[in-house]
Amino acid sequence: MSGVDATITAEARILRRERERKRHSLSEFDGNVTQRLITLNREETVMGRAPESHVRLSSKRASRQHAFLRVRGTDCVLVDNDSDNGVILNGVKIHSAVLRDGDVIQVADNVFVYHED
Amino acid sequence: MAAYVKFWGTRGSIPTPASWTRVYGGNTPCVEVRFGEAIFICDAGSGIRELGKDLVERHPTPKPLHLFISHSHWDHIQGFPYFAPVYLPATQIRVYGRHGNGVSPYQLLSGQMSSDYFPVSFKDLGASIVDDDLGGEKIIDGVVVRAFPLNHPGGCQAYCFEKEGKKVVYATDNELEIGAWDVFPDPGNTGPLRRCPEALVEAMEGADLLILDAQYDDREYATKRKWGHSSCFSATDLAIKAGAKSLALFHHDPESTDRDIDEKVQSCRQRAEAHGANLTIMAAREGVELKL
Repeated sequence: MSGVDATITAEARILRRERERKRHSLSEFDGNVTQRLITLNREETVMGRAPESHVRLSSKRASRQHAFLRVRGTDCVLVDNDSDNGVILNGVKIHSAVLRDGDVIQVADNVFVYHED
Repeated sequence: MAAYVKFWGTRGSIPTPASWTRVYGGNTPCVEVRFGEAIFICDAGSGIRELGKDLVERHPTPKPLHLFISHSHWDHIQGFPYFAPVYLPATQIRVYGRHGNGVSPYQLLSGQMSSDYFPVSFKDLGASIVDDDLGGEKIIDGVVVRAFPLNHPGGCQAYCFEKEGKKVVYATDNELEIGAWDVFPDPGNTGPLRRCPEALVEAMEGADLLILDAQYDDREYATKRKWGHSSCFSATDLAIKAGAKSLALFHHDPESTDRDIDEKVQSCRQRAEAHGANLTIMAAREGVELKL
């Protein structure tokens, strides 16, 4: 194999690795205004009212550890931690869901949009 | 006791992997219903493959499984040879379904694994697979399971799972035929509820969740009468008449994009609202689990 061929192969491998590494994030909305952008770079992100939560929720309707966002392979899975007020995905109360780009998540009084790229 | 329902495959007819099916999924029917430790699997479409992987991870010591086949059309049995638990000697699977033309679903599942179709023979599977019979109604692990017939070419049956006041009905591949007396099409939701078979209304009465065939909208149904599937508006009317709490539109058409399905949900919600119904409507979506 020539040097040029080897370079092309190496670049292709790098590109493929990038494609398989998905980035997950949430943007929190208040009306039409984005309040904060949250990158989901942990294996498990905790959403809740407890001070140690990764995504802190100030609403009294939020449980201390309300929900988890777990990265599984290339997917991000939202799981309700048997919270008092539940987790709403696109208007429907769910127990867990594999998230898809553009999903709207309501946790207590907070609204998030999920992004993957 | 809470019931859990997870959608592993929601697409009708044929697996449809595509960028435009990414949200609701492209796998053919498979729904997991759990009451405590009892695991019930509705249909063995291609979605059962992912369920199998999950079960093996979730339960290193296999749990007994109960597989309910609605009917034997390809999209409801094609995933079975790829269901990981069937290769594990410690697994016990009981298979239930209607006996069409004198052939049991067990025989059909094994038939699709003859050497002409698949490299592994049914008799070489490790699991203990038993042909069982509901006989209309049976109590399994404390859950009352009932079967009732649906309107589909070649026949089909629905399953109702009920325990401690929680009721889940799986009723796919069913044509709710529209009669001359029904308002059709009804884009403005101005007409009365369509007529539905009384037996279905009764069997589904008060369900916490109805999983219903809603492959088409009215426009699509008009060109596909007698194909054995329903308009989502007719499914909505059935759910309203049955006084169900929630409805999952199921068996999405292979031609339906995620956006098409979103529009169906929106239209059905408008219809329920126009009729003053307190009914939660969603589209069944791969990877979503509900707690009832």
